[in-house]
Parts: sequence; C-alpha cells; structure tokens
Amino acid sequence: MIIRNQEKINSPETIKQQFEALGYICSDAIATSVYLACHLQKPILVEGPPGVGKTELAKKTSELLSAPLIRMQCYEGLDESKALYEWKYGKQLLYTQLLKDQLGDVMRGAKGLDESVSRLHQFGDIFYSDEFLEPRPLLQALRSEGGAVLLIDEIDKADQEFEAFLLELLSDYQISIPELGTVKAKSKPIVLLTSNNTRELGDALKRRCLHLYIPFPSKAIEQKIISAQVPELNDKLRQQLVAFIGELRDMSLKKVPAVSETIDWARALLLLNVESLDHEWIKTTLNLLLKFQDDIEAVEPEIDNLLKAATKES
Amino acid sequence: MQKVLGDFIHALRHAGLPISSAETLDALRAAQLVGIDNAPLLKHSLGMTLTKCLQHRLTYDQVFDQYFNSYDQFKEASSSEETIKALEEKRQTSNNIDEELINAYGTSFQSPLAQQLMDNDMSSVQVMITSAATASGAREIAFVTQIPMVTYRIMQTLGNGELQQELAVLASSDENSAEVQLLRQRRLLLQQQVRDYVEQQYLIFNQNEPNKLRESNLQKINLTSVDHRNYKLMGELVRKAAKQLASMHSRRRRITKRGLLDVRRTIAANAAYDGFLFHTKWKSTRVDRPKVMVICDVSGSVSEVARFLMLFLYCLQDVLPKVRSFVFSSNMAEVTELFEQRGMDQALAEVMLKWANLPSDYGKALADFTSIALDDIDNRTTVIMLGDARNNNEDGNVSVWEEIYRRSQRVLWLNPEGEFSWDSADSIMSEYAPYCTHVETCNSLRDLNRVLGSVLKHSN
Repeated sequence: MIIRNQEKINSPETIKQQFEALGYICSDAIATSVYLACHLQKPILVEGPPGVGKTELAKKTSELLSAPLIRMQCYEGLDESKALYEWKYGKQLLYTQLLKDQLGDVMRGAKGLDESVSRLHQFGDIFYSDEFLEPRPLLQALRSEGGAVLLIDEIDKADQEFEAFLLELLSDYQISIPELGTVKAKSKPIVLLTSNNTRELGDALKRRCLHLYIPFPSKAIEQKIISAQVPELNDKLRQQLVAFIGELRDMSLKKVPAVSETIDWARALLLLNVESLDHEWIKTTLNLLLKFQDDIEAVEPEIDNLLKAATKES
Repeated sequence: MQKVLGDFIHALRHAGLPISSAETLDALRAAQLVGIDNAPLLKHSLGMTLTKCLQHRLTYDQVFDQYFNSYDQFKEASSSEETIKALEEKRQTSNNIDEELINAYGTSFQSPLAQQLMDNDMSSVQVMITSAATASGAREIAFVTQIPMVTYRIMQTLGNGELQQELAVLASSDENSAEVQLLRQRRLLLQQQVRDYVEQQYLIFNQNEPNKLRESNLQKINLTSVDHRNYKLMGELVRKAAKQLASMHSRRRRITKRGLLDVRRTIAANAAYDGFLFHTKWKSTRVDRPKVMVICDVSGSVSEVARFLMLFLYCLQDVLPKVRSFVFSSNMAEVTELFEQRGMDQALAEVMLKWANLPSDYGKALADFTSIALDDIDNRTTVIMLGDARNNNEDGNVSVWEEIYRRSQRVLWLNPEGEFSWDSADSIMSEYAPYCTHVETCNSLRDLNRVLGSVLKHSN
C-alpha cells in the first residue's frame, strides 16, 4: 500500500496538498503525523476535543491511499469475539446436523470407542477451520491483501483489558488465535486510534503510538475549512461566522462549538439565505452550535457583545 | 546526529518527561526520515514520537526551542568528525592569514589563546568551548550560583591564565596599545560567550534539579507546617501520587475464577444452539470499589492536613467514585456536592472559610452525623476520620462512634499528632480508639499515600 502510493506520500507537504484536494484542510502537524505513520509503520493516537476531525482524518487517509477503511467503534465491554474473530456457531451446528448420516457411514464398522475416535481424528479440525471463522474488524485489517486503514475509534471507552490485548497488534501487526496460530498482517495496515480523554490511556499503549493532538484550528485554517466544505457561502459571512465562533470558544461553556458545529452552522445559514449575521439569526440558530440549555442561556444575553467583537475582528 | 539527539533526550528527561529507550529509537528513525534541515518538521516529528500527552508536549516545545537554539549557535561545534576535520583545515589556512596579519603588526603573540582570538576564528573557538565545558562539568551544575565558577574553570582550561600574563606584559611595555585593546576586547567577548554557554547548559540540563530536591523534601515534611507558597507544588505532588495509586488499583474490576463453570449462565447462553454448549461461561467475582466516607475535623491545625486528605481523595475519583465527605468543627455538614459543583481549590477555600477555625466539639458533630448519614453506612463502607480528638473537655458521644464501627466494614482514624501526645490535655483518643479498625498517625504526604493505598488494597 505504501509502495503503491509512494508519490502521494513522499513528503508532508505533498500529503497536505493531497488532503486539501480531497477537501480536508489540515495543519502541518497532522500531515507530518500521517507521513511518519506511513513510513515508520507506527499507529497514530489522535487526541483532541470532540468534533475537530479525528475520525475524518482516518476517512481521508483511506481515501488518499485508496485503501478500504475498517472501523471499529470501542465501547465498554468490547471483547475479542467482537473485535477479532468469532466462530460461526450456527453454521457449525447446521453442518454437524447435516453430516450426521455421513458420520454414521464413517463410523460404521469401527470397533470400540478408541477406533471411532482415531477415525474422527483423521478428518482434522474441520469445524475449526477458516470456513467457520467470522473475521471481525481487527482480523479483517490484518488479512486485507492490499493493506487497509484501521480506525479504532474512541479507544478510551474500551476496557483496560482490551487495551492490553491491542498491544500485540499495534507493535507487531500480528495476533494470536489459539485454534489457528498466529496471524501476521499480509500488508501492514495504517492504524489510527482516537481518544476523547475520558480516561487516561496506559503508558504501554501510548509508547507504541505516535501522538497527535488536534486542537481547535486557527481562524485562518477554520476559514479555509469552511470554504472547502461550504464553498457557496460568501466571504463576509464566512469571516463573521468564524470570528463569532472564536469568541464563543473563549467563553467558559460546558461544551464549546467544534469545527463540525461550525460547518453545520454555515450550512444552515446558507440554507436560510442569510446575508450577514445579526442578533435574530444567531438567536434562532444558536441551538445548532450549543448542545446544552445552560450554555444557550449563558450565551443569549451576550450575543450583542460577541457579535460586536466578531465584526470588529473580521 | 545520534549524540545531539541523545543529549536532547537527556535534557527532556531532566525537564521531567518520561522517555523510554524505545521512544528514543523511534525518534531517531523519525529524525533520519525527515532530516534535520527543516526545523518545524523536525519539531513535529520528534514531538509525536517523544511526548504522549498535551502537558508533556508543552514542556517539550519549550525544551526544543531552548536546546536547538543553542545547538544552532554551536552547530559547527557538534563533534562529528568531518566538521572537526574541516575546522582543522580551516584553522591551518587561517593560521597562514594570521601570520600575515601578525607580520603586519610586527609582533607575535605567545599564548595559544591569544593567537586564536586574533585569528577571529569563531567556530574553532566554539569547538574549544564545548570540549572545555564538558571537561569542567558544565552539565552537572545544580545551582545558579555555580555558573561563575564553572565559567572561570572553562576560561582557565582555554588558557586564560597565559593570555592574562601576556596581556600584562604587553600592556606594561605599552607600545602596541591598539593591539592590546583589541585583544582585551576579544577576551571579554570570549568570556561573555563562555558564560552564555554555561547558562544555557544549566537551563537545559539542570534547571529542575533543585525542584526535585524540594519535592522529595516536601514528601516528608509535616503537613501542618507546609508553607502557603508551597501549596501549589504540594497540590501537584498530591495529584501525582494519586495518579500513581489510581493506576495501580484500577486494573482489575472483575476476577474470573477460571475453571469454575457457571452452569446457569452457560445453559442460558447456549439455549439458541439447541442446547449444544458452544459458549462456556465462567464464574467471576466483581471487585467492589469501596464506598468511602471521610469525616474531617477542620478546626485549628488539623485543617491543613484535612485540605490535603480531601485533595488526595478527590484525585482518586477514578478508582474511588463513591466518596462522601463531611467536615466539622462543632457542627457537621456534608460537602460532597460542594466539591462536585466547584473546582477543588474553590471548594476547599469555601470549606475553610465556613467551617474551619472554630473550637471543635466531637460530641455535637457525631450527633449531627447520626442524622445526616448514619443510615447510609453499610458493610461495604470504609469510614475515615481525620482528627486530633481534642474535644475541649466536652462529652465525646462515643456511643455514636461505636455504632459507626459496628455498621461499617472498616473504620480508620487518622491523627495528625504523634502518638506521644494522644490523651494529653483535652485529647480523648483512647475513648474512640477501641472502636477503630486502625488508628494511625498521619501528617505527611507519605503517610497519606500509605493509608489510602491500604484502603484501595483492602477493597480487592
């Protein structure tokens, strides 16, 4: 996968341009991390506040490398059978039922239990073979021929046991299955792990990864993002909008609006045919930006001041 | 490059970043990949491999700027062999020029340092400074006050003594005053340069040494005598210790008894497969997090210890989610909500303002506790009392304490006073002591760490 895309990832600068062509505006740090991940073959641990494009980064990376994106959402109680592999119990059961008669034929004439068992052994582990294996995301990623981008989303939500289980995969790109032996990656996948920091991750996991922190973008980059995502929006409104969001982020709110909210808001304003920001429009669309009633109540009386500050800036 | 990076990582470790050797190798590979010409790119790349959280990243940025700024100045001085060889050649040629120059002046300087200074060959001087600095131990400086001494030592190693002598001789004869002036100026310049270098080395490698010393002292000293200006540092230390404890005890939530089949759950799980037992379910025991109730006397001197005990407990929230806290001096009040709503510091300040510094009355406080929370104590509750049991000769209401002891799983009494002063004057420690699982002296961060560690351990 790396060799195939060599010219697309031969420097951080190229990666940045390629991402831009795909509509993902990123900082130098992000481009560098993807560059290092591809060349050092190390997973990236992406942290940052919600809505700054952590998951999007994985999607665009898979697009850039034209490799399939395999996504695994983590949650409490996630275990091997859901992340790695499972036996197709139903199929096993069905086959044993169907083959009952055949088994009878095989067994016919066998004297005593010992002989029957030794005859059965001649057939090998039919029911625990690849045919009956249901690969889950991690195994899929290891087995995909042309390489893949594996996104392990919100790793902080999974249990610590699962985190420990991931270590083998992250450092050696291999995984042990008791019945089949060790599965090695055919082509090493690019792994991205995202975390919202709901709990501290283990040092062992962090050690194996490149660490990338995506903060809220600077105003210039956010403007570029908006113009890439919502190109129809006029320049003046875009500047106002980004400046206003910047002011909001300086307030102490429960949840400050992230980039995804900015984009949603820009789309909404476009749909409503708003020419320039004013008090009324902001008030009616504020619920797109703020997700807590407390926050909305805190911001509403401040709208005029914020708007003034925003227009002055832009 | 290896040496430069190795030193850099050494500097980072001094600044308090935990960098493993595996990460060092990664950093080397990353640096090889991106090269060292593009500074911002190198900064990002090394940052990603060496730091693993935001706080560390900020420290890293600072150290990077400091280190590589000084490195840039001394770039040529980095001891890769080719540069040295190149410098040697350069020196040869410049010596020739120098000879012409000296001829022009009509005199030649005897001391080697004077010759070098008149050469004005800055890069070779820098090489000399670097090697002299290593020899004089510039990296081992622990205190700011050592800087002049090390500077002096480096100057001596460079040959300052001879230079001074020669200057004195030349000055006495006075015939070459313009030249002597020039040499003097150069010498001062060199001294400044050496001093700058030493300061930089101090900043990079040893700035944090005194802090480490202070930290280890603060661990041991009596909490009641912690100075106000050390509160912030103490707070950080408490948080660090709490994090360590939390990570030690957060691992296991459930102990699976391997080999003990849970028949009921196995049959239920396999009902869908016609009774064939594909999934086996094993018995497991859930590890309970202890319910903790902490009662703090905040009167007088105990209040200082109470501050740190509460801070510690709230830093343990990951592993001790069910902490309820009560404070009293005469009246008791529950402050659990206060801590949830306000930040730690603000809540502490409020507690101290409202309840602290009143004469303590354990009898009244325990009576209040009966009405607030006695019924919530069950056999999984650990009750921690922090107090000196100095009751101003009032009735101690011991029966309530006995009731608490009977109902709860464990009762710990932490007394900030040493054992020798228990029961002296108005202390009624011996009345409460029979109804405690454990009575301990607790007045330093180490004690706190040990006590809370045992609370967590007992729960498993």
